[in-house]
Amino acid sequence: MTNDQPVTTGEVLLAAHDLRMSYLSGERRLEVLHGVSLAVGEGESVSIRGESGSGKSTLLHLMAGLDAPDEGAVTWAGSTDTGAGRRARFLGMVFQSFYLIPELDALGNVLMAARVAGKVGAAEKKRAEELLGRVGLAERSHHLPSQLSGGERQRVAVARALMNSPRLILADEPTGNLDEKTGDAIIDLLLGLCAEQRIALVLVTHNAAHAARTARTLFMRDGVLQ
Amino acid sequence: MPWYLYLALKQLFPTGKRLSFFTAISILGVALGVATLVVTNSVMGGFGYEIRRMIIDTQGEVQIRARSLIENADGVVEAVGKVPGVTGVTPFAEGVGMLEYGRKPAFPLIQGIDVNRVNDVVPLNRFIRVGSLDELDDDTVILSSQLAYSLGVLVGGKVTISSPLLIERLKNDEVFLPRELVVVGIFEIGHQQLDANTVIVTLRRMQDLYGLGEAVHGLNVKIADGLDADAMAARINAALPAEPEMRARSWLDANSEFLFVIQMEKNLVSVLLLFIILVASFSIMSSLLTTVVRKTREIGLLGALGASPRQIAACFCVQGFLIGLIGTATGLALGFGFLHVRNDVLLAFTKLTGSQETLERFYQFSNVPAHMESSDLIVIIVGTIVISTLAGIFPAWRASKLKPVAALRAE
Repeated sequence: MTNDQPVTTGEVLLAAHDLRMSYLSGERRLEVLHGVSLAVGEGESVSIRGESGSGKSTLLHLMAGLDAPDEGAVTWAGSTDTGAGRRARFLGMVFQSFYLIPELDALGNVLMAARVAGKVGAAEKKRAEELLGRVGLAERSHHLPSQLSGGERQRVAVARALMNSPRLILADEPTGNLDEKTGDAIIDLLLGLCAEQRIALVLVTHNAAHAARTARTLFMRDGVLQ
Repeated sequence: MPWYLYLALKQLFPTGKRLSFFTAISILGVALGVATLVVTNSVMGGFGYEIRRMIIDTQGEVQIRARSLIENADGVVEAVGKVPGVTGVTPFAEGVGMLEYGRKPAFPLIQGIDVNRVNDVVPLNRFIRVGSLDELDDDTVILSSQLAYSLGVLVGGKVTISSPLLIERLKNDEVFLPRELVVVGIFEIGHQQLDANTVIVTLRRMQDLYGLGEAVHGLNVKIADGLDADAMAARINAALPAEPEMRARSWLDANSEFLFVIQMEKNLVSVLLLFIILVASFSIMSSLLTTVVRKTREIGLLGALGASPRQIAACFCVQGFLIGLIGTATGLALGFGFLHVRNDVLLAFTKLTGSQETLERFYQFSNVPAHMESSDLIVIIVGTIVISTLAGIFPAWRASKLKPVAALRAE
């Protein structure tokens, strides 16, 4: 089996074709990705492991449409439209550093995803409250990020990623800033919710145990996906 | 509410806090600028307004003068009185004379007024401080306050007045005796020149002093409220008899150079004070640029959530606008609040420095005048908000140019 074929039989949600990416470092051009291809099917969970600097996060950013590759293409459900407008509804992202907006409480942070997508009303507020309940923060929905622990902040970030009912979640080392026990709980939550709602998941992680829990584990080494 | 407006509000007024420190400093800068502009503009406008009012109160809105004497004053009064919009006409004669009291001489401007008609045009009663205008007849006189003070004459005192006619008559070996008049009033208009050296007598007495017969030097005209003085002067000119050659001029036309200087002075001060707003706008720019740097990773997150660069720019532009809006509102409250207590402040200052009497004597006021034109207020409000919004454009542009990936990686 090759990387550019999903293990599931459903629709190919995310496809990366022969991605090449390089950066200028001083006067030298550093090749970060050397023709990476990957396909993720509907509801599939894929983990990508690799050493720091191997190109995992760069690949994730390209797949999220946050950056453009030097060569190659990314498609979402067969479409090359990976612009900001579509991103708001198609995918959710979870980051190592949570990136919560400090001026907004937990509910406000979750709802922010709906606001950016251009729709926020009573239904969205209800969904945000439900999601906070699902991640175990129903009682803390009006707490500011500064009043939450690291694990709780990441739970808010997971709820935010799920807010717009995305078809795909890209998680970039979501347990990197958490202790082992809290990290395990976050992975349980993420995998459980994605499986329940048939959301595809791409998980970038250093943790072998977490990676082992996804349907497919890939290794990134020197800009090549194996 | 669009997310960028919602977030702009949240960043300016975070949950659980009243105001962020950076926002408070920016708003204060704008508020102080606006307050200074409002106070200065109002006080300067107040002086200008008082001067304009004084010109109208002493001359009427339109004044008619001739190259020579106006012999048929009653005919002119009747003709001008028929012009639609004219509410009052009063003839006058004026000239310099010599006044003497207790061997103290003075050379005042003597104004001869028609006692029956003067109040239709000039609210002279309002300026009488001691005595009464009703007591003015051909044997009495009203003096300006500083003239009476310098001569040491009080109401009831007798002064003698003579005119250049005395010399003219002497050339023909005729004797023209100075007239002895009783002081029945003292007036104060609030104009240094007029209050220092003016005498009011009846028109008949002035005609007698100058040998004018029934002739007058000119007529003051009052027009209905809200009418354009220049347009009314043109209408009156069309209604004036052909002989003698007369011309009606509006107070705006007759005092155009003086009024231009007052307006110029006010505009110049406003432009100079506008620099305060410009400095405040740099404070806004600096504050928002700091916010962009502090929130780089959040800007990256917004990009990851699907926000467009234009929306991110709008979020910061809106903050500049809101700072301008709130700063302007605060500044207006501060400025008008200060204007409300300006006289108390002046009183406290003059008491502290012991300069109350000097101020009243030299500036003819004990209260600080204040008058704000609505057009000036609109310029201050709109100008400040526009400048503040423009100050948010550069930080907004910087924020919109941040690539989400680079922003998320920022330390």
